[in-house]
Amino acid sequence: MWQWFFRLGSPKWFYELSGRWLPWLYVAMTVLLSIGVIWALLFVPQDYQQGDTIRIMYVHVPVASISLACFPLMAVAGVITLVWKMKLADMVAMCAAPIGAWFTAVALATGAIWGQPIWGTWWAWDARLTSMLIQFFLLIGVIALRSAIESPDAAARACALLSIVGAINVPIIKYSVEWWNTLHQPASNFAMDNESPFGPEIWVPLVIMICAVYLFFVISLILSTRNEILVRERRSQWVVDLIAAQKPQGA
Amino acid sequence: MFESMAFDSVSEFLQMGKYTFHVWSVYALFAVFLTVNLYLPLARRRQFIREQQRRALRDSQANQSPDGDDGRSDANGGSE
Amino acid sequence: MTALTGPQVSTFTAFRATLRRDLLIALKRRNDLLNPLMFFLIVVSLFPLGVSSDPQELTRIAAGTVWVSALLASMLSLDNLYRADYEDGSLEQLLLSPQPLYFLVLAKNIAHWLVSGLPVVLLAPLLAYMLYLPADAYWTLMLTLLLGTPVLSLFGSIGVALTVGLGSRGLILAVIVLPLTVPVLIIGAKAVADASLGLALGMHYSLLGALLALSLSLAPLASAAALKISVN
Repeated sequence: MWQWFFRLGSPKWFYELSGRWLPWLYVAMTVLLSIGVIWALLFVPQDYQQGDTIRIMYVHVPVASISLACFPLMAVAGVITLVWKMKLADMVAMCAAPIGAWFTAVALATGAIWGQPIWGTWWAWDARLTSMLIQFFLLIGVIALRSAIESPDAAARACALLSIVGAINVPIIKYSVEWWNTLHQPASNFAMDNESPFGPEIWVPLVIMICAVYLFFVISLILSTRNEILVRERRSQWVVDLIAAQKPQGA
Repeated sequence: MFESMAFDSVSEFLQMGKYTFHVWSVYALFAVFLTVNLYLPLARRRQFIREQQRRALRDSQANQSPDGDDGRSDANGGSE
Repeated sequence: MTALTGPQVSTFTAFRATLRRDLLIALKRRNDLLNPLMFFLIVVSLFPLGVSSDPQELTRIAAGTVWVSALLASMLSLDNLYRADYEDGSLEQLLLSPQPLYFLVLAKNIAHWLVSGLPVVLLAPLLAYMLYLPADAYWTLMLTLLLGTPVLSLFGSIGVALTVGLGSRGLILAVIVLPLTVPVLIIGAKAVADASLGLALGMHYSLLGALLALSLSLAPLASAAALKISVN
């Protein structure tokens, strides 16, 4: 078990393994995404209240739910970085932060576009939007700290620590914002969770889209982690060989 | 299959009820998001490989002249 | 510092010595002591100028204004927390001392709160008066600030510890720390606002107390780890 764990920590091993996985991930993502988007746009019936804006849900909910996975992921990678000093964990954490910020920003933007017809305004201090915004700030903080510290080793450990602190704080922020919000203004009539029971024609495409967007997250994380591996390991023999084996890229 | 579609005509589909702008802007944003996040790492990878190849080429030329080493080109040292 | 180096010194003695030393240093530097207070005063008085001088409107925003300004003032004073110690090398001594770092960091945080947080708490009623906060809410304001500003110091300490070795820290510190302080701000400002409406406040206090307990037990650990990362 531990042997396997530490082998996983070897950047070279990860690079080769992920290279073998990537084509399959691409295929799975493309298939799921096509099915999901076509189903969501063409076949999902109009909602009796929201009309066609229900189709926004199939983008917003997957992106938002996966952006919530980002801080736990970075915190776990942070623990591994601090305890076992594994280089790969830090590379994953480093690449996850900007991708998570992208996801959070897109979740905010789609949430605003979805909210406009329902609330009559682009921005509302709704509990979910607000805590998403704070999470965006936290991610920006991690990215800023990473770029501010010059020594890569110190930056890795500092960001690992900040991610752990942030991950502990995210639920606290979420609950305090919800608490503030429920007392602040009457519960919005925009009930996303407790809507009349969804039929399968509503939730099956949603599940498909969540899987597709999850695959997309994994793929883009793997792609940037592979780049990071190449950059950090550029002096080691296997990367030199690998680059020599690539056909020349136009000058 | 087609009778289960939510729309009767293409123009109705494009119009999305009252929400043409809302629905299509979300999907456009989603498309941009996907493309950018898949394209950027690949572009960065290509650029990195190009740089390294150029450097390797320069180093192999420099090795023929006595003092061409710029100190950044030790292929065996460094990490790992 | 010499008092801390011997292995025979008990943790409590080291805790007290650190606290005393930091307080003495702070009291010698009057400007550092006064600046956060002046900043607090100035920021609060900007709100009537920027928003409106209408008493009714000010009453409505008073709670939030005082809380946000207290938050910013404590941000401003954070920089003193480890900076001087880092520059003269005594921070390294602190990290090398045999006592558990948790208590030494806690002592430094308490000292920092006593010289920067407590004056803000004491000044707050005056500013609240200037903003026409209803009289019912004064005690709540003081009490929530008393419970909340230590949390700000403790959280801030993590951020300062992470950035103490950097050349330009000013903005990055705020970017890291401010999002972490959102729960305190929300609960504190809400408690004051609710108090001026005459609502029950038991829950607000217990939430703030829980936050304080949580940060007292965990934040110094994180600060200690961060200091070890920054000082190498």
